[in-house]
Amino acid sequence: MRWGIVTAVLLLWIVLANSLYVVNEAEQVIITQFGKPVGEPIDAPGLKLKIPFVQTIHRFDRRFLEWDGDANELPTRDKRFIWVNTYARWRISDPLLYFQRLRDERGAQTRLDDILDGETRNAIANHDLVEVIRSTNRQPADSDLDAEEQTIFAQIETGRRAIQETILAAAQQRVTDLGIEILDLRFKRINYVEEVRKKVYERMIAERRRIADRFRSEGQGEAQRILGEKERELKRIQSEAYRTAQSIIGRADAEATRIFAGAYDRSPQTRSFYSFLKTMETYETTIDDKTSLIFSTDSEFTGYLRDSTQR
Amino acid sequence: MSQGGYGDEIREIRVPRPPIRRLLALAIVVLIVIIALSSFYTVGPEENGVVLRFGRFMRTTEPGLHFKFPMGVERVYKIPVQRQLKEEFGFTTVSSGIRSQYSTSGRAGESNMLTGDLNAAVVEWVVQYRIVDSYKHLFRVRSPRETLRAMSEAIMREVVGDRTVNEVLTVGRQEVASLVEVQLQELCDQYELGVKVEQVVLQDVNPPDPVKPAFNEVNEAQQERERLINEAQSEYNQVIPRAKGEALQTIERAEGYALDRVNRAQGDAERFDAIFTAYQSAPEVTRKRIYLETMGKILPKVKDKILIDEKLRSVLPLLNLDRRGEEK
Repeated sequence: MRWGIVTAVLLLWIVLANSLYVVNEAEQVIITQFGKPVGEPIDAPGLKLKIPFVQTIHRFDRRFLEWDGDANELPTRDKRFIWVNTYARWRISDPLLYFQRLRDERGAQTRLDDILDGETRNAIANHDLVEVIRSTNRQPADSDLDAEEQTIFAQIETGRRAIQETILAAAQQRVTDLGIEILDLRFKRINYVEEVRKKVYERMIAERRRIADRFRSEGQGEAQRILGEKERELKRIQSEAYRTAQSIIGRADAEATRIFAGAYDRSPQTRSFYSFLKTMETYETTIDDKTSLIFSTDSEFTGYLRDSTQR
Repeated sequence: MSQGGYGDEIREIRVPRPPIRRLLALAIVVLIVIIALSSFYTVGPEENGVVLRFGRFMRTTEPGLHFKFPMGVERVYKIPVQRQLKEEFGFTTVSSGIRSQYSTSGRAGESNMLTGDLNAAVVEWVVQYRIVDSYKHLFRVRSPRETLRAMSEAIMREVVGDRTVNEVLTVGRQEVASLVEVQLQELCDQYELGVKVEQVVLQDVNPPDPVKPAFNEVNEAQQERERLINEAQSEYNQVIPRAKGEALQTIERAEGYALDRVNRAQGDAERFDAIFTAYQSAPEVTRKRIYLETMGKILPKVKDKILIDEKLRSVLPLLNLDRRGEEK
């Protein structure tokens, strides 16, 4: 009797455990009966009931799922080889279809690899590298380099975002019958392959060298200009000073000359007296101990030696 | 009951019945304790609790002690909504502290990117974020952390791809960080990550290692340019103000000369006037006096004074007044 109760409880337990199931917020469920899907997929969370032993549940994720592609070496339209790494975001929109076509997520990821890698390859091959890198026609802001070194971006026609959208649209087309929906696709990483990278580095180095050389010669040129300006300024200052000084001196000389003329050139008497005085002064300053003087006895000074009554 | 009867003793010796009742009671007590214990849960000060009943979202709870239905009827997920979370790109913090150590090994793939002028740059950055919607964070997106990392890389490259290597390395740093912040937040909202991007910080932004020396060379050349210009300017500054001073000196000297010249001329003229006025009253005598005074001044200085009589031109010996005097 007691054992009977225990057995009954156990049986009930097993039956209940097989007919009650929980659907999580993150899940959606489809039910199959002997392998045949029955009813609508269940995506409302909560405690649910099914026919025990006969029906089987299959759980699928209801959340947004990630797809992270491997890096692929792809050529662009302008024949540059780059590593492209994309990621996408997708969800299971029709679990039944998904279950039928792909069975599980591994199958889904493999299909997504094929589809997204393929579409990415197509899109990359149809565009130049610069279109893949840049998204807008924004022009670079002024850098600390000079205007001559400013890079001016060429116009792009498509751009990164539009290419991403193209890939997304093409891929969306191809997954409609797989019960999944791709919501977004983006380039995660784009890099040069090794050989190209070396060349790019060389180019960058050459570019920097060129800029460095320009800075140096600019510095030298500017220094020379300043030194030249210094020379010019020096000459200007000196010559202007000379000119001013000379004109001052000249004016003074002219003034002096005018004063002298006013004093000495008044009448025949002043003229003769001046020449007499000046001659006397000149004698005083010019005749010294190295001078020999020869006087005629006729001269005024020695005249008295001969004759005191002269004149 | 009885006081030690024989029959009683026999009963005592019997194998005791298994105490099913007691065991059952004990099991029930244990069960009740387990149920009681699993009915309560605590939410830490930085967390939110998300309660699901049979998988269905019921409520979120704030920090503190809370009740829930036991035995797996209600489950609690704790999400650290107050904690600032951090994702590092291009490097990892090996040990954090006052002097944190970072490693970039194995992370080159994250930080190498192409710029709009098709050059390469190495950008390392940090995204700081907080979970603001724990429901979305748990149930809208699977592996939200990986998703956030992928988004962040994609957006950083998109923003950097629109800029020149120069901009990224120098003037555009701040702009890149804030633009990534805005765009990443937009994408988080679109992806329903339930995350608020608090800050995007650019760490090291460098040219690739092989190119670094060339970039440094540019900096050095820039310094050198400044140095050369400064040197020239300093020479200019040494010479020009001095020359200006000297020019003023020259001019002042000329002014001095002019004053001197004019004054002297004036003086000479006045002197002449004075003398002339005096002279006019007795011209003959004054002339003679001046003449003789002059002779008196100059003749003592002269060594050879030779007198020649006009009439004795041929024979008369030359008189050398001075030498004669010496011979005496």
